[in-house]
Amino acid sequence: MVIQKEKKSCGQVVEEWKEFVWNPRTHQFMGRTGTSWAFILLFYLVFYGFLTAMFTLTMWVMLQTVSDHTPKYQDRLATPGLMIRPKTENLDVIVNVSDTESWDQHVQKLNKFLEPYNDSIQAQKNDVCRPGRYYEQPDNGVLNYPKRACQFNRTQLGDCSGIGDPTHYGYSTGQPCVFIKMNRVINFYAGANQSMNVTCVGKRDEDAENLGSFVMFPANGNIDLMYFPYYGKKFHVNYTQPLVAVKFLNVTPNVEVNVECRINAANIATDDERDKFAGRVAFKLRINKT
Amino acid sequence: MAQKTPEIYSVELSGTEDVGKTDTGDGKEKYRGLKDKRLELKKNHQKEELKKEVDLEDHKLSIKELERKYGTNIVTGLSSTQAAELLARNGPNALTPPKETPEIVKFLKQMVGGFSILLWIGAILCWIAYGIQYFNDKSSSLDSVYLGCVLALVVILTGIFAYYQEAKSTNIMASFSKMIPQQALVIRDSEKKTIPADIRLLSTQGCKVDNSSLTGESEPQSRSCEFTHDNPLETKNIGFYSTTCLEGTATGMVINTGDRTIIGQIASLASGVGHEKTPIAIEIEHFVHIVAGVAVSIGILFFIIAVSMKYYVLDSIIFLIGIIVANVPEGLLATVTVTLSLTAKRMAKKNCLVKNLEAVETLGSTSIICSDKTGTLTQNRMTVAHLWFDNQIFVADTSEDHSNQVFDQSSGTWASLSKIITLCNRAEFRPGQESVPIMKKVVVGDASETALLKFSEVILGDVMEIRKRNRKVAEIPFNSTNKFQLSIHETDDPSDKRFLMVMKGAPERVLEKCSTIMVNGQEQPLDDSTAEAFHTAYMELGGLGERVLGFCHLYLPADKFPETYSFDVDTVNFPTSNLCFVGLLSMIDPPRSTVPDAVTKCRSAGIKVIMVTGDHPITAKAIAKSVGIISANSETVEDIAKRLNIPVEQVSKRDAKAAVVTGMELKDMSPEQLDELLTDYSEIVFARTSPQQKLIIVEGCQRQDAVVAVTGDGVNDSPALKKADIGIAMGIAGSDAAKNAADMVLLDDNFASIVTGVEEGRLIFDNLKKTIAYTLTKNIAELCPFLIYIIAGLPLPIGTITILFIDLGTDIIPSIALAYEKAESDIMNRKPRHKKKDRLVNAPLAIYSYLHIGLMQALGAFVVYFTVYAQEGFRPSALINLRVEWEKDSVNDLEDSYGQEWTQYQRKYLEWTGYTAFFVGIMIQQIADLIIRKTRRNSIFQQGLFRNKVIWVGIASQIIIALILSYGLGSVSALNFTMLRPQYWFVAVPHAILIWVYDEVRKLFIRLYPGSWWDKNMYY
Repeated sequence: MVIQKEKKSCGQVVEEWKEFVWNPRTHQFMGRTGTSWAFILLFYLVFYGFLTAMFTLTMWVMLQTVSDHTPKYQDRLATPGLMIRPKTENLDVIVNVSDTESWDQHVQKLNKFLEPYNDSIQAQKNDVCRPGRYYEQPDNGVLNYPKRACQFNRTQLGDCSGIGDPTHYGYSTGQPCVFIKMNRVINFYAGANQSMNVTCVGKRDEDAENLGSFVMFPANGNIDLMYFPYYGKKFHVNYTQPLVAVKFLNVTPNVEVNVECRINAANIATDDERDKFAGRVAFKLRINKT
Repeated sequence: MAQKTPEIYSVELSGTEDVGKTDTGDGKEKYRGLKDKRLELKKNHQKEELKKEVDLEDHKLSIKELERKYGTNIVTGLSSTQAAELLARNGPNALTPPKETPEIVKFLKQMVGGFSILLWIGAILCWIAYGIQYFNDKSSSLDSVYLGCVLALVVILTGIFAYYQEAKSTNIMASFSKMIPQQALVIRDSEKKTIPADIRLLSTQGCKVDNSSLTGESEPQSRSCEFTHDNPLETKNIGFYSTTCLEGTATGMVINTGDRTIIGQIASLASGVGHEKTPIAIEIEHFVHIVAGVAVSIGILFFIIAVSMKYYVLDSIIFLIGIIVANVPEGLLATVTVTLSLTAKRMAKKNCLVKNLEAVETLGSTSIICSDKTGTLTQNRMTVAHLWFDNQIFVADTSEDHSNQVFDQSSGTWASLSKIITLCNRAEFRPGQESVPIMKKVVVGDASETALLKFSEVILGDVMEIRKRNRKVAEIPFNSTNKFQLSIHETDDPSDKRFLMVMKGAPERVLEKCSTIMVNGQEQPLDDSTAEAFHTAYMELGGLGERVLGFCHLYLPADKFPETYSFDVDTVNFPTSNLCFVGLLSMIDPPRSTVPDAVTKCRSAGIKVIMVTGDHPITAKAIAKSVGIISANSETVEDIAKRLNIPVEQVSKRDAKAAVVTGMELKDMSPEQLDELLTDYSEIVFARTSPQQKLIIVEGCQRQDAVVAVTGDGVNDSPALKKADIGIAMGIAGSDAAKNAADMVLLDDNFASIVTGVEEGRLIFDNLKKTIAYTLTKNIAELCPFLIYIIAGLPLPIGTITILFIDLGTDIIPSIALAYEKAESDIMNRKPRHKKKDRLVNAPLAIYSYLHIGLMQALGAFVVYFTVYAQEGFRPSALINLRVEWEKDSVNDLEDSYGQEWTQYQRKYLEWTGYTAFFVGIMIQQIADLIIRKTRRNSIFQQGLFRNKVIWVGIASQIIIALILSYGLGSVSALNFTMLRPQYWFVAVPHAILIWVYDEVRKLFIRLYPGSWWDKNMYY
């Protein structure tokens, strides 16, 4: 015969809990006496203190292996990615021409983004460099920093510079400018000493049709070698990233157009299966007109 | 019962043959079937009813009353129509097979048991999360669907594995139904036949039955028509279903069939006994509760934290899944199963066949063994134990092979005695066994004659040859009236033409017929002093529980009995008095030689050994004394009374350590009295017990919170075997019913094998502790990343899939390897664990694993993680609160600490590298964890770093699996592994060493200050 398990009544359970929390006979609080609790707390204080110290020490040792100026490894960044401005949540530039609010946020972002490119600031901080060749500033044994950066003037962006532009980078007229930038990678000699440029196409045939014509600034979407190599945030304090502006002139309205821009450079592969942004950028463009 | 119409029907099981056919050809025996429904019990009272003594009264009735009761005629039997009607009403003569749990239910139980339910919840949450994602954004990634599938797959695979393991080891009770179909009803040519139903015997002729499977008595019981005992099991006029008839013939009337037979009742008793959870199952359940409790409470806590930190509910759900997966040791239950089956295999090699895997550990926690006597403690064969001749008692070798007979064989008396033993014996070896050792040869004959035959064969050589030389001319076989056996032989001395008459039988009867006694080969008149000496010896041997036989002979004078004399055993034309008494010989079913040592070992292991037998108290006590169940210096109340010559009532119970309790006494005891008995006496023998009483004894022991092991071989033992925490059946002598009810089968029927089993069971408990401690540790290292991720917003340090690769990949073989660890100290010298106090997973184990080693591991793994990120460009400070930007698909220019910009995929790859790094960090520290878990108290150097080679196989497997995952499958993006730079494999090594050193310090303090605060809090 199965022995019936003694079922505890609710009251007993409460009673047991009470006794567990405070046992007046043994002066135990939660199963331990005061001294025992003191011991335990002291122990964990010391033990965790020691562990924290140990962790801090190892982290400190580890950080000693890392240079302040250049990362130890850059294997993940062999191919720089491309990105667009204005930066939007899903990489889509949607412009309702009649609805100012729809593009005003883009304009605000672009204004802010392009502010460092103002000619005055550039002239004040950066050098005028010789185009067509890398602007190398080797350390030659002694640390040589801050390193100088080359000027990229806002005016180089032509119609897309937004200077004195009543159309707000073309957003108010349905001819928006989208800026393409290439990700910064330290000590990367983009283009391998040959000139390079950005080209944009519609992704599929119908996209190409709907895309219509566009102009690029600087001309042909060129990116000059003088902006390379990049020496890192700490060395290259005033580094100004080169940009390519694309002004879409007659996009078919009310249609979503998939645009893909890629860089044509000798040492940048743009066909990575997994990384859809390696040397290229795809975005959606939609101009809504009523 | 009065309203039922008893009818006779054919006993043929199929029920298709008519009455005439049961009059089988040789006409030796006829059965007439009768049906009795008296024992039909009301279902709801069935169990209580069954626990009462076997209830049968038919043996008390006269034949006439029986006829009236069953409305039949013992000559003509039932008509075939009546028989058919009865068959239809009462069903065939077969036992109802016990209800089986459907396989699908068992399978589903595995699917939702343990941690499975948590993982199912995880999987379903995954799919719900995907559903919501998909609803919001049709292009959302399928990651959570995959994860859900992986989780479901893990549950299903581990479920199938557990189901397979269980299915392999369960077939309980199956053969009760197998033993039923018995068509042969007739005894022919003295071959053994099984009695097909319970029968009341009407006429018998020298019928002997073997009831050992029912009552445990090893001797054949004679059957007659007289009612001899109130207890149906003892009375001589009942033959029981499934017992075998060894010799003679009998005719009887069937009084019970199928489930209503005594065996049927026992069978249903056995299947009615609830099988309680094994101790290890309780422990594992307890452990699952702890872990699941931790998992669910941390999960919900952080779900709430996440929601209140303004995370999306969807994200919070995904965190919840991660926390559950990190907390649940997915591989552990499978590991435990494997560990148990490894031990089971090891035990099988040592002749303990484990049927129910969990029973492996049960034996280790056993605190009381209720052992059957016959066959388990004893050899289950009568053996000559003592001889008395020349006024002296000689001890014969009763060991299994009889090889060492040292008593004095030079006396002339021995020569005469040996001749009587050899000649006055009808037993013979079956032909064709020349190569078989004597003790193993099959003999035709009853147990005592077999014992004598083997005894003489061992000492004298070819008995058959001696018998041939001393041709038998006449013989009176043994019968219960004259209680002796007599034969007359020619002598093998060609010059001696006298006949030799030899006789053996009940000593007092034999002595009556003697006028002289042989001493030192010389005949002397039998005077009072020699008769006194005879009686003393007889009482002494009888007091040892041995069966005593007397031997005498007489050379018939050649003048009166010439060679041509024709002896007639019916008229007895020869003298049967004034013989010459030669000696006594006593036999016993001797204890196995290994048993005393095994009992001693049980004692030192804190296990109480109780003998429970159906045999007589005197025999039981004698065997108990000889094997040490009653130790040499302890006395029973009766012993003390006898020694002090005072009445039993006056003896203080405190003085007695041992007790011999009979079934009759037990019957009158209340449960409280039984409890008292079990606690007061350390050495207890129960004799003359019935199956129901065995059950009561086992329950009594279990009331003391003891884990009870029961050994047994007979059908009568099966309810107790089933009720016991662990039932141990005998493999050779055991009945199928016993084997089926048992959890473990001793292949060599040797009690000593139990001790091996206990040792293995204790070891596995210790080692399971180590395995669990090992497995639990890394849960914290897997959990912390999620917590940090939620609170500090770091990129996720380790993925859910990666966690599964640790739990089900690298950690599996090492945790099994711990099962091969040797014991740290002499585990057979400590008390059995208390099943309610010594838990498998106790607070110190959980705290030490989670909050000490686990936390150190987490820190170590974080160092590896931070190293990878820092060296790739993201310093630790940059990682804080980076989570949102990091995980956004549209952000493809995320800036690192050096101003470089990262695309989403570049980050993702770095994240996977981080997973791999964290994984490797845990793996490296798990190696240290594995090594420290080898011992709980001793230093690793005391235990020996290289003694357990399997540990090193485990470590190698860990490293190899990690290498394969990183370098071999690093390109399979679904697995989230990347090729890790070689140096990162060593980053966690300092932490691993720290773990080792810390644990050595812990163990050192435990050894230095036993019983101290440190010991109490740090020893698990």
